[in-house]
Amino acid sequence: MNVAVNKTPAELAYDGMLLPHPRLEDWKWTNLRVLIDRPYPPRVKVTAAPKDIERLLKRDPLGKLARTRIVFVNGHFEAAWSNHPAGGDVKVTPRLAPLSADDEPVLDMNKAFATAGVHVEIASNIDAPVELVHIATDAEARTIATRHSIAVTEGASATLFETHLGEGDYLSNSVVDVTLGAGAKLDRVKIEIESPEAIHLAHALIKVGANAILRDFTLTSGARVNRQNGTISFDGEKSDAKIAGSYLLSGKQHADTRLLIDHRVPKCTSRELFKCVMDERARGIFQGKVVVQRDAQKTDGKQSSHGLLLSETAEFDAKPELEIYADDVVCGHGATSGDIDHNHLFYLCSRGIPEAEAKSMLIAAFVAEAFDTIGHEEVRHQLNRFAETWLVSHKETSP
Amino acid sequence: MLEINNLSVKLAEEDRTILNGLTLDVKAGEVHAIMGPNGSGKSTLSYVLAGREGYEVTSGEVKFKGEDLLELSPDQRAAKGLFLAFQYPIEVPGVVTMQFLKVALNAQHRARGEKELTTPEFMKLVKDRAARLDISLDMLKRAVNVGFSGGEKKRAEILQMAVLEPSLCILDETDSGLDIDALRIVADGVNALRSPERAMVVITHYQRLLDYIVPDYVHVLSQGRIVKSGGKELALELEAKGYAGFAREAA
Repeated sequence: MNVAVNKTPAELAYDGMLLPHPRLEDWKWTNLRVLIDRPYPPRVKVTAAPKDIERLLKRDPLGKLARTRIVFVNGHFEAAWSNHPAGGDVKVTPRLAPLSADDEPVLDMNKAFATAGVHVEIASNIDAPVELVHIATDAEARTIATRHSIAVTEGASATLFETHLGEGDYLSNSVVDVTLGAGAKLDRVKIEIESPEAIHLAHALIKVGANAILRDFTLTSGARVNRQNGTISFDGEKSDAKIAGSYLLSGKQHADTRLLIDHRVPKCTSRELFKCVMDERARGIFQGKVVVQRDAQKTDGKQSSHGLLLSETAEFDAKPELEIYADDVVCGHGATSGDIDHNHLFYLCSRGIPEAEAKSMLIAAFVAEAFDTIGHEEVRHQLNRFAETWLVSHKETSP
Repeated sequence: MLEINNLSVKLAEEDRTILNGLTLDVKAGEVHAIMGPNGSGKSTLSYVLAGREGYEVTSGEVKFKGEDLLELSPDQRAAKGLFLAFQYPIEVPGVVTMQFLKVALNAQHRARGEKELTTPEFMKLVKDRAARLDISLDMLKRAVNVGFSGGEKKRAEILQMAVLEPSLCILDETDSGLDIDALRIVADGVNALRSPERAMVVITHYQRLLDYIVPDYVHVLSQGRIVKSGGKELALELEAKGYAGFAREAA
């Protein structure tokens, strides 16, 4: 692309790499050239104080539930803070997985600047969750990029947590490359509760083998700008994927999820469910595209996204797309947007529940439908607590 | 307990007067029945007392335990002891009944400066009250009123009342949609709550409910005001003569 543009300070800090602009259809709501409004130099080495690491790790709502915990601090693997039981069934190898060429801005940035990553291989049925924790400590504005590869091999099953949190101003770029073998099962739960000043860019590449089951949930509640891409491709027949997410956004937060579900083979089922809550001037975007290739007969694909707007200045945009080349398929989509039901609110208040608490209950009830994708009961419980306290906590911290 | 003086109310969004100079005095221990035809203002009265938005009080006052009720928010009214059993209980998807009841009860305790119940204490209370109303624990694990039958919804309302132990119970057409067995269960539940400290206002279209919940006073509501008051025999008279006769009498 030879377009003569004046590079932004952020682009100059990225060795002149061009950031996506809104003329690209996938990026029409998220103009990174404007939203990344200052340079976030890559490859900046920051040393974190142990007390900061400790404090941040404590903030991880899933920390106590994981047995294997792989910790990344400011983009570097920290063996000393990690917990990986020896001789277990989870193989963890620090290495930056190769990334196949892909003309996608988040991947391109990651390819250029990722500093660390692990390869996690799970070859049997693992009950205890495996967690990848990413924390950023308060320091100069910088880009922190990591890239992991996860392989759940044939017939194996696992629960994988991915947590992102931090303090201060930084840009985190996180790529995961996940492969599910034939008959494999993966419950993936991602929690994005980055610093309110941060920018979070992510891409999950997930390949699903035959007869495999994928359950994927993402909570998006941190960062001032968030863009998460997911590419899920069905590579084997009779597989089943549920992709869900919840947004809890306030202030001027901006979150944009772009999912591409690629049905390449017959008889697979995909479900997408996003429940998004926006308060104040926050903006939530959901773009879901389902592609059914010519050979993918008997595909069953449905997606739905729902926005709950808590203020008149909040916004929710949904763009569902179906691209179907096979003739024997069942596909559908639906999107809604609205405010809190006043009848529900009145009913709760009429029983003595103060309005703020009643609203919190209704918000938690709204997003909880997406939590049902998660198999791990205690995780759902933790997320419910997070959702129930979210309204009060963001009202307290906002100026 | 409850003093309503010359209360007039219109819909906030349209210029239509629903209550037009209503006066009613309810003392502790009393059960008052308010009867009236459709459109006489029965449900508006219950909603205005509970604090639903969408109504504008144009004149008059309402005192509850000596305090200006209309100044209080719905949750404050509830914490002070007012309870409305809805004619059409609202379905609240995603909010589990048990959790809802616990949060509500403890919010009221907190507002009154009383000790909150622990989970075991609360469970014991709910199990006890639910058994009397023939409500299964399974039903309480479901979302509030979602998928409940008409009878289950009404029983769930009375359960909430039995758990929250309000001092003023307003029952809005609690008999509507109930078969005779369900009506008896609901009425037994209500009668179990009658006490010298507690007042009840039973709003109904038909006399039938009053065979089971026997009132001390019966009032006829017509065109937004009480046109006749009397003892329980008034209900029978009303059943025989119909509302039309009373409306004419009043005019």
